[in-house]
Amino acid sequence: MKRILPIIIFIGLFAFLAKSLFQPQTNIPSPLIGQSMPAFSLGELNTDTSLTDKDILGTISLINVWATWCVGCEREHDFLIELAGNQSIDIPIIGINWKDRDDLALRWLSQRGNPYIVVLSDPIGKTAIDFGVYGAPETFLIDEQGVIRYKHIGPLNRENFARNFMPIIRDLRR
Amino acid sequence: MKKVCLILLLITSQVGSIESNEALTNQERELYQQIIQEVRCLVCQNQSVGESNADLAKDLRTEILEQVQKGSSEDDIKNYLLSRYGDFVLYEPSFKKSTYVLWLSPVLIILLILGWLRKIGVIGK
Repeated sequence: MKRILPIIIFIGLFAFLAKSLFQPQTNIPSPLIGQSMPAFSLGELNTDTSLTDKDILGTISLINVWATWCVGCEREHDFLIELAGNQSIDIPIIGINWKDRDDLALRWLSQRGNPYIVVLSDPIGKTAIDFGVYGAPETFLIDEQGVIRYKHIGPLNRENFARNFMPIIRDLRR
Repeated sequence: MKKVCLILLLITSQVGSIESNEALTNQERELYQQIIQEVRCLVCQNQSVGESNADLAKDLRTEILEQVQKGSSEDDIKNYLLSRYGDFVLYEPSFKKSTYVLWLSPVLIILLILGWLRKIGVIGK
């Protein structure tokens, strides 16, 4: 037994490391949760007006970072439309169009529908870096004071929204 | 032909530092090069932002370059990235409560192995 124990430990450690090696870490925790959202000033898609972080305070909202080149965004789009139309959840979605072209973004929205109350464009990706974005789609839950309460990386759907966002939203509204 | 090869060679060897041909002092360039090697490209993982051609890596290089030019220190820039992307963004995470296990486990494992070797008599008492 004494002689076998190290071998068992070795195999255990080997299996653990091998598993970590082949399983890409997709959900890197964000240090921004519980912090105020970073300050930004972005132009509204296809208009001359711009919006800052101060303009979206006062209501619980979602900030959704998306792009037309992003495959996951395509997958979550139908759910975003459904969410935008859901009167009982009643949460405004602010879109940040990340490193994209305005004409492509506009075509996307006219073809698939527009779930956003406003779409801001971040063509150079500076605001995205401030938000710690590394892959679209990413969705942030912002409370009335502008504090980031939750961040989701990857496409939203009914199930993960109900599980991860709804409890926090209910808490915030209580 | 030789000239073409030389130009191609020059272009390809510059890939990692495309953004560094702006006016930088030697010291700034060194700092920039050092930081981009130590920051992880989060979308490509296992590449630093210095090695990667991913869009995000380019954006991060530009951001780091701008901050170097503004005269930010290494710590300032690393803290900037840490506060946005978390510990994972640095290849060498800082030594703090949540990373104690990460830093100390190798030492612990070596001590355990030494202890065990002593016990079974491979190394002298």
